[in-house]
Amino acid sequence: MTNGRGNRTAIVTLIAILVGIPLTIVGYQYGLRPVFADHRIIDITARVPENGGFQPDLVRMEVGETVTLRFAADDVVHGIAIGPGLGVDIGQVDPGHVGEITLTVDSPGIYTYYCNTWCSPSHWRMRGVLEVVDPDAASPLSSPPDPIIEALVAAGIDIDADPQTVDGIVPDRARGQASVGSVEVPAELLEPDWRLQHTPEGGLGLLRAANRDTPDDLLIDVVAYLWSNTVPTEQAVELFAKNCAACHGERGGGDGPVAESTIDPPVAFAEAAWLRRGDIWYAKIRRGGMGTDMPNFGTLFTVEETRSLVDYLWFLSFAGP
Amino acid sequence: MQTSKRPVIARRSVLLLLVLAALLVPVPAFHAPQTHRISIDASQFEYSPGRLTVNRGDTLQVTLTASDVVHGFFLDGYEIDARVEPGISQQFTVSADRSGKFNYRCSVSCGPLHPFMIGELVVGPNEPLWRASAIAVIAAAAMLIGAGTRRSA
Repeated sequence: MTNGRGNRTAIVTLIAILVGIPLTIVGYQYGLRPVFADHRIIDITARVPENGGFQPDLVRMEVGETVTLRFAADDVVHGIAIGPGLGVDIGQVDPGHVGEITLTVDSPGIYTYYCNTWCSPSHWRMRGVLEVVDPDAASPLSSPPDPIIEALVAAGIDIDADPQTVDGIVPDRARGQASVGSVEVPAELLEPDWRLQHTPEGGLGLLRAANRDTPDDLLIDVVAYLWSNTVPTEQAVELFAKNCAACHGERGGGDGPVAESTIDPPVAFAEAAWLRRGDIWYAKIRRGGMGTDMPNFGTLFTVEETRSLVDYLWFLSFAGP
Repeated sequence: MQTSKRPVIARRSVLLLLVLAALLVPVPAFHAPQTHRISIDASQFEYSPGRLTVNRGDTLQVTLTASDVVHGFFLDGYEIDARVEPGISQQFTVSADRSGKFNYRCSVSCGPLHPFMIGELVVGPNEPLWRASAIAVIAAAAMLIGAGTRRSA
């Protein structure tokens, strides 16, 4: 073996390795894989928002098109979900791993893929837009107005006013449940939509008028039961744990682990509940809080999911110790 | 050396017995088993508290919380691996039935210093240290006594 030839072989081998490995990887990802896949595959990198969040943060697809989204976590654990109404939750993706979902969306609209695991102080900013367009439709995508929020605005109610709190009212929900049959309950108080637009205090006024001889503290318990009598759905509990508990606390006491890093202290639901209208809670969740760190969840949750969350807030507020 | 071999053998057997005793005598338990309720908070990149000291036989009822990102809790030697998200606390129980020092470490990549996120659980007194010290004392005493007998011989 002459020295020159050995050297040349070594150099050629080295160059083949240095060029071949990247070429193989890139060639597979951008060449082979798209050719052999029968639908589009989109790679999305997930980083904390301070380092770019989702990249890309906009994905366009057509109605009925099947697309695979591959979310690769880059720095810490992220949770990947897509809403509203798609019911997609890939779960937690550890750094260095990929969470994959193949989906077909049948109704056009603007959807959001978002992180639902607290990953940094700006965690809630970690969102991307999934546009599902109907190529035959002439009109551009738009979201229909929300009747509940529209009604609040029309009535001139300030959604962003600080919640009023009242001391000394600690209802006993269980006692209210036991006594609800023994008092005269006006028909409005049995309507979920009426309760959504009135405070428990307002309900107490009507209940007092109908039960003049019943002690007040018992009526308070009955009102608390009426406002919180919807058994929390598993989905609402899950949504709350994933998206709200980090700030508002596991039991809604405003004492979550990252509560100290928010501009305003997160609301403790029980303190605000007695003078709170459900539709304002609903609006806060969907639209966010102006000037606070309360994010908007209207682009993530359906109307039904938001209503079930509001029910859960009543439940937490009046659940007792 | 005019001394007969017998005292030497006797001395050596006594020495051996002492060393074996120092190595093998079980340490009596001075404490009745207790149950500790402990809250451990995981944050980047430390546990708080970062050191737990209990006696052997104790039970730890741990409530694990996270205050910034997802963290894990893997306790060496105890087959415990938990995962905790901010806002969703985890509970588990540890029966401290093995004495020694065991590290608990983060088992979920939580950021750049994740490998250094380590705490320690100390169960019972440091037996190996005390046994080694006893043997050292025995050895030192034996050398002193041996030197004394040789000088007087």
